Amino acid sequence: MINLTIDNQRATVPDGSTVFEAAEQLGIVVPHFCYHHAVGAVGACRMCAVMVVQGTLPGLRMSCMTQAEEGMVVETSSAQVVEFRKHVGEWLMTNHPHDCPVCDEGGECQLQEMTIASGHGLRNYRGNKRTYQNQDLGPFVAQEMNRCIQCYRCVRTYQDYCGGRDFGTMGSRQRVFFGRFRDGMLESDFSGNLVDVCPTGVLTDKTFRFKTRLWDLEQAPSICPHCSLGCAVVPGGRYRELQRVVSGVNLQTNGHFICDRGRFGSGYVNHPDRPRHARAGGSRVSVSDAVDSLRQRIDEIVRQHGAEAVAMVGSGRASLEANLLLREWAAGLNCPLPVFELHPRRARAIRQTVGTLSDHLASLRQVRKSDLVVVFGADPLAEAPMLALALRQVVRAGGRVVVLDPRPVELPCAFEHHPLTQEKILCLLAGNCEKELFNRLLQDLMDARRPVLVGGGDLLGGVGLQLLGHLTESCDNDDRYCLIHPLLPQANSFGAGLLEGPEQADLLERLESGRIRALICLESDPGSEHPEAGRMQLAISRLEYLAVFDYLPTHAAKRADLLLPTTTPLEGDGVFINNEGRMQAFVRVLQPGTPLSVTGQGSHPPREFVPEMPGCQPRPAWQLLQQVLGDKRTLQGLRRAAEDEDSRLEGLSRLHPGGEGLRVVPSSHAPVEESTVEIWSQDGVLRLLPVQARYGSEHASCLSVKLAPRMARPQLIVHPQEAAERQLKAGETVLLKTAQGTFRFPLACDERVVRGRVIVPCLPGTPLEIFVPGGLSLPCEIEGEAP
Amino acid sequence: MSELLTAEQIDQFKAHIAAIEHPRELIIDLLRTVQENRGWVPDEGIELVAGLLGLTPLEVEEIATFYDKIYRRPVGRYPIHICDSICCWSRGGEQLAKHLQESLDIAPGETSADGLFTLLPTCCLGVCGRAPAMMIGRQSYGPLDNAEVDRILAELRQEAQA
Amino acid sequence: MKQTAQLLFKNRRPGETVFLGEYEKTGGYLGLKQALRDMQPKQVCELVKNSGLRGRGGAGFPTGLKWSFFPADKPAPKYLVCNCDEMEPGTYKDGELLQADPHQLVEGMIISAYALQADTGYIFIRYAYREQFANLRRAIAEATEAGYLGQDILGSGFSFELHVHGSAGRYILGEETALLNGLEGVRPNPRSKPPFPAVRGLFGRPTTVNNVETLANIQHIVTGGATWFRDLALTVDGAGTKLYGLSGHLQRTECFELPVGISLREVIDEYGGGVWRGRKFKSCLPGGASTPFLTSADLDVQLDYQTLEAVGSRFGTGGVTVFDDRTCMVAVTLNLIRFFARESCGWCTPCRDGLPLVAWLLEKIEKGDGTLDDLEQLKGQYSNISGNSFCALAEGAMGPVDGLLRNFEQELVDHIQKGRCPFAGS
Repeated sequence: MINLTIDNQRATVPDGSTVFEAAEQLGIVVPHFCYHHAVGAVGACRMCAVMVVQGTLPGLRMSCMTQAEEGMVVETSSAQVVEFRKHVGEWLMTNHPHDCPVCDEGGECQLQEMTIASGHGLRNYRGNKRTYQNQDLGPFVAQEMNRCIQCYRCVRTYQDYCGGRDFGTMGSRQRVFFGRFRDGMLESDFSGNLVDVCPTGVLTDKTFRFKTRLWDLEQAPSICPHCSLGCAVVPGGRYRELQRVVSGVNLQTNGHFICDRGRFGSGYVNHPDRPRHARAGGSRVSVSDAVDSLRQRIDEIVRQHGAEAVAMVGSGRASLEANLLLREWAAGLNCPLPVFELHPRRARAIRQTVGTLSDHLASLRQVRKSDLVVVFGADPLAEAPMLALALRQVVRAGGRVVVLDPRPVELPCAFEHHPLTQEKILCLLAGNCEKELFNRLLQDLMDARRPVLVGGGDLLGGVGLQLLGHLTESCDNDDRYCLIHPLLPQANSFGAGLLEGPEQADLLERLESGRIRALICLESDPGSEHPEAGRMQLAISRLEYLAVFDYLPTHAAKRADLLLPTTTPLEGDGVFINNEGRMQAFVRVLQPGTPLSVTGQGSHPPREFVPEMPGCQPRPAWQLLQQVLGDKRTLQGLRRAAEDEDSRLEGLSRLHPGGEGLRVVPSSHAPVEESTVEIWSQDGVLRLLPVQARYGSEHASCLSVKLAPRMARPQLIVHPQEAAERQLKAGETVLLKTAQGTFRFPLACDERVVRGRVIVPCLPGTPLEIFVPGGLSLPCEIEGEAP
Repeated sequence: MSELLTAEQIDQFKAHIAAIEHPRELIIDLLRTVQENRGWVPDEGIELVAGLLGLTPLEVEEIATFYDKIYRRPVGRYPIHICDSICCWSRGGEQLAKHLQESLDIAPGETSADGLFTLLPTCCLGVCGRAPAMMIGRQSYGPLDNAEVDRILAELRQEAQA
Repeated sequence: MKQTAQLLFKNRRPGETVFLGEYEKTGGYLGLKQALRDMQPKQVCELVKNSGLRGRGGAGFPTGLKWSFFPADKPAPKYLVCNCDEMEPGTYKDGELLQADPHQLVEGMIISAYALQADTGYIFIRYAYREQFANLRRAIAEATEAGYLGQDILGSGFSFELHVHGSAGRYILGEETALLNGLEGVRPNPRSKPPFPAVRGLFGRPTTVNNVETLANIQHIVTGGATWFRDLALTVDGAGTKLYGLSGHLQRTECFELPVGISLREVIDEYGGGVWRGRKFKSCLPGGASTPFLTSADLDVQLDYQTLEAVGSRFGTGGVTVFDDRTCMVAVTLNLIRFFARESCGWCTPCRDGLPLVAWLLEKIEKGDGTLDDLEQLKGQYSNISGNSFCALAEGAMGPVDGLLRNFEQELVDHIQKGRCPFAGS
């Protein structure tokens, strides 16, 4: 540790800290532009100057580039420093336009703040200003280059941190330009971060442009619901419309950035088809009537047919609190405990994570700090985009990334890809094949200082994750654990998994046989989540009574005999537990309601006047369930009761929204899985592997209009050899024959795909939605269309 | 129109790229070769260089737009770099530049109507002992006066007609 | 004109270039043979340190000291890079040397590489030096053919390969870390130091960057010895000869090899043939565009590092640009600042945005639109840009502004008070 004095205050900082960081620790804000926590210091803007009074190099120094030294004395506001900073303000503002009143950055402009902080108030320069022609960077980011102050943060974020290669620095001197080679959509899956890092109004959120001034925006710390990583986000809205999402800061998870799916995937909140009215038997009713009707009907069915006739389904989309209350309800009725993941294989993966693996789990931060990450059966950009960014940081710091996966995996960094089938990966983990590769990886993992294994729950399933758990244990040593970072299907899959009772593999059979007469779905959609989606949809259509709590226009919601509209995670409070077992609280950003842009149809004020706010019926699911149960506890009371009951949830009631969250206490009781791995002969056999697409598979973001330009199109991907053997060409429409039926889709070829597999993205709303990821591959054949 | 790179040049560069550890160091060589062939570096030239080096066009553009002797816009057959730095300035460089503008009837940065000359003010050419000086293509001339400039322009016009 | 020892220019004849045969006839490659035969690499370094040689590219850092930072014992690859991006206005000595005698540099680089145990060399040469580029290519081919370059040079076990890299313009490439980025093919912004190139240089490997003239002196130090080399200078602290490129308002604007420590007056009168058109000396840049102006009061200063620093200027590159008494120093400074502003790489704020602001202020004053407040602004710009930029470019740009404010403030005031340039029309 180093002791130094800044502005007459003593600071103690770790070795290698800069003066800037030391000042920050004392709460002294040194004005700055080019410095950014995530992308570091480069000494370009010269705004963070301080006076080193005592030290190796006394004098005016850039605090971001100056190492803190023992006994150093620094002043951040001596006369010379203030004078210099004022000049930096003047230089930066020479060409900056006077367009603050119409600039979208207004209210959150670091340039505005720092210019004022620097003391530069009046412009002396009267010459011409430099102007640029802007580029069209696509639907997400708007560019207004005249405002640029050349802090280089954008390129350092886009290229260095995120690995994008189509946006950069051009020109030189006072004519530096940041943009693309040509107009066009930014290619990086993290492009939206440009908006967050730009300190002024050059790069702004095009989807949010001219909608709301910052000070009119309703914002709150939240947790991104679009994958299992649980990234910190700060959504913002106005006029009952969710208008934008920016990155929150959680150094344990996402750090400072988020992916484009998280940023632009929030449009589902405003979706016109969202359930907004309670419905019973086809007609709109009040929420309390619906709750009464639900309770009466369920009690009646239990009385008539016994508690076995009622089944409940929770989900990884619902909050921990709502899932807890659902379980309480089931327990109260004495009916079978809810199923919290409808896909049995996915459920087993979650069960392993929550149980066996829970003392070896790695946070995303630990992934970033790793020196060797081996990814087993995961496509990070599709299943957990920010993991891809974490892997890039591994490589940037000199570490290595190895991926074993059948898909044409892409990452924003260099990595070693071994195209292996799902079955081969499982077999390798069981030590039964690919022994050379396995032994090499094992040796590397044992030699690594901070090894992490990533396990894709969808491909590996419970068995695979269990085997991965064995592997970590054999790579542990006295100094460190070999950690594991599992990917789960949904934002709260871990939380739902904690509540899961004994496996109910026969749910579908019980539904089909009519033993289950009533089904209650909490923010889940059996018809699109169960691996046998078609059968499940049919079984549901025959149910005597279907009650649905949801905020998405799912199959179940449309078919429901009783519908209770719930709020999205952005309209209520709750807790999600992410893939590493981190409990994180989110709070309400907006009141639920149909956006004014929809009700007013572009005109203002709305022409129809009604006493209640349009579309305001949705309530948090936990509140609705409390109504059902007659439960009067506060949210805090609920959380306290939950942690009293389950010691793993210790700290639940102390969670602070916007904080780092708390890890679930690892559990000792580990479920034992049968470790049998079925291996198929692969010669000449083609099998179908349903997977998640980067955009369009996840159930909420696939409804976001903003993401439309990036949505995956239905297609089949095979190795070119596979196509050649069948005389098929990339781009042509082919017939896919499966047990589920025959489909027509365009064929794409990619050399990175493993032989013998057809990769198909699951896309809700398309015929491909029945191929739910998470299972083993299915027999199939592809052939050309009959001439 | 001449090729961006001849087939032979492409083969040579490919062999060179395969033989060295850091192919990116050839970026300026490639851009200069494209420019020698074509007179300037069009977008397709950037894309060609990017393809050879395994870079994106943007990554090549970042470099190409930094250097002032890589022309990213068409220039005349004879790009004239007229030195405007201190030594030439002290010995009549400004007057010379004015004379060039008048006799070619163009402003700095423009190309003459006959497509032969583009006038580009440039920093010191490293021939300060022969000020005022200019560089046409990569040939430097100096010391110059109006008559000498006229003579050189006439010579080049004649060469262009031949 | 006194007879001066000619080391670098000994083979120079107008319009000619000396290649291997003739170079060897006048003692070429004897230094290399001697070094490889009789000296350990460390001894060469020691000799260079004792010779007092200082970098000839402008900064004047002691060469031996710079070399002492180089980790010669680290494994290959290690690089020796020659900086021939000679682009500072008024500086053309390296171009003259390579036009006359390219083997001087090649031999100097081989010995230097041996001293540093570098295995690969690059000569980074500016776009405009087309003939010099060709000369170097030929010299390297000849030297390779003769066994002076390549594997196991002259049976010594030492191997060295040498490449020439042609640039495509921009003064900033002369900054050594920007040059390394340029060589690597990335955007040539200067790098932050530390780490210094000796630790992490070209492609992240140990690298030393030296100027053409610096490297060309090495073989002469090897053959002549450190004491002889020091004694060539006319000052006590100085060492060696220097290539002085004369320009501006002189009768004769040529490049001469003269002792370090020769007086400015002698250079101007004896070698430059005096101020042109019978006019009087007013001022000069003693060592390139970034060195503060001298005045007639400084004519007797000896041209060397310390002596010029003592009168508030710098030795720089040895390019002496003279201005006669009809020259407006505001206009001179404006011209220089425009150069620096245009050549800024655009990385740091004081350089990218500060220099254009200085140019705007000077332009305003030169046009007669300036006020005394503008003069204060100019002083504020000067004191805040100086010392506070990322690399030395903006620092260098403040050299002439410093000279202007210290030596010619009255001229600025005259512009402001008269509302026009007092030299206009003269």
